[in-house]
Amino acid sequence: MWRDTSSALKALTSSHSLPATMSLALRFVFALLAVAAAHAASLSIASPRFTITAPDASQLRSQQLSLTEKPDALTLGQADVLKLTFQVVEQEEGKGVQPHQTFLRFHDEVTGEEGVQPVRVTPGGKAKFELNMARPPTSLPPTTTNPLKVSLILGSFTHSPAQYELFDLYVPASQSPPAHPDEAAFAPRPEITHTFRPEQRIPAKAVSAFFAAFVFWPWLVLVGFWFEISPRVPHLFSPHTLPFTVSLAAFEVLLFWYWVDLRLGQVLLYGGILAVPTAFAGKQALAKASERRLGRK
Amino acid sequence: MAPKTVSSPATTNSFQSLLRSYNETTLPRLKLIDAFLLFLMLSGIIQFVYCVLVTNFPFNAFLAGFGSCVGQFVLTASLRSQVNPANRAEFKEVSPERAFADFALGSIVLHFFVYNFLG
Repeated sequence: MWRDTSSALKALTSSHSLPATMSLALRFVFALLAVAAAHAASLSIASPRFTITAPDASQLRSQQLSLTEKPDALTLGQADVLKLTFQVVEQEEGKGVQPHQTFLRFHDEVTGEEGVQPVRVTPGGKAKFELNMARPPTSLPPTTTNPLKVSLILGSFTHSPAQYELFDLYVPASQSPPAHPDEAAFAPRPEITHTFRPEQRIPAKAVSAFFAAFVFWPWLVLVGFWFEISPRVPHLFSPHTLPFTVSLAAFEVLLFWYWVDLRLGQVLLYGGILAVPTAFAGKQALAKASERRLGRK
Repeated sequence: MAPKTVSSPATTNSFQSLLRSYNETTLPRLKLIDAFLLFLMLSGIIQFVYCVLVTNFPFNAFLAGFGSCVGQFVLTASLRSQVNPANRAEFKEVSPERAFADFALGSIVLHFFVYNFLG
């Protein structure tokens, strides 16, 4: 292995091009990993044993555990104590080893609750775990009448990891787990029903038509009065005032055209264009009118 | 213009004398403007009564129509007061021609907004 590393390093330092260096570095890393994997031994348990004692120190059950065959389910009372001892060894040589991670996992398959308890292992691989139901550890999950599956998880950098199902455990039922304040948000929410404002009622056609006609009779009043008054408009069609009148009428036509067809930008543009001659015509017409008024006075 | 018969002869008489004095003293041009004002008032009242009694269904249309009546009434009333020769002392800096130009401009702008609202 060291020969490979030195030759790889030499190749790295001697080569000058960057892509060649990158590929060499990658190949070096892969080589190291392959070496580590090829040399990894697997972990195992030697002499696993459990003991259940009652609070008055009398032994209720004691048994050797087999890794291949699960024993009958264990039952713990309110104050019983479960003691579990084992030694972690390498599978081939049987040498005691201290793995980097040793966990006992308590898993309720029905509700899905689980708890993980780390187990202290001596450098020689010996491990001891005690579960006192009078003072249960915080890692024990909320339990019901379902059994807890107890499994041992071993993790290590130098060895390949292992997981062993040990036994099923019945413990007294605990309080149910507290509901998460956000839990309602993750379940389907109630269906939203919208209430819309009811449609506006349109009045009867007869009423509408009558009022449409009715609103026009003031025009008759107006026209009647104007005929009766019939003021003199002597200079209406003179060349001074006529352009002004015509441009004012043109403005009205433009606005009506806007109502029917045009868009805002267009009407503003046309209005702006029309305003110029209107202003001139107006100036002229009104100047003449004032002249006439002052002249007459 | 037939006088309306109201409850007591005194009010009838005062109303008749009011009308007579109006007829005699007002210039024809001012009477023209007054007729227009009356017409606007009647139109506005009819539209408002319709809105209150029947429906305000196309509310924008009601606003446009009623607003046009009211706005035009205001503009015409101001024109009349500025053009009236009896008010010359009040409006020294505003000549009747200037008043008419203001009236025309104001009317056009009002019509533009009303057409916008009419829909």
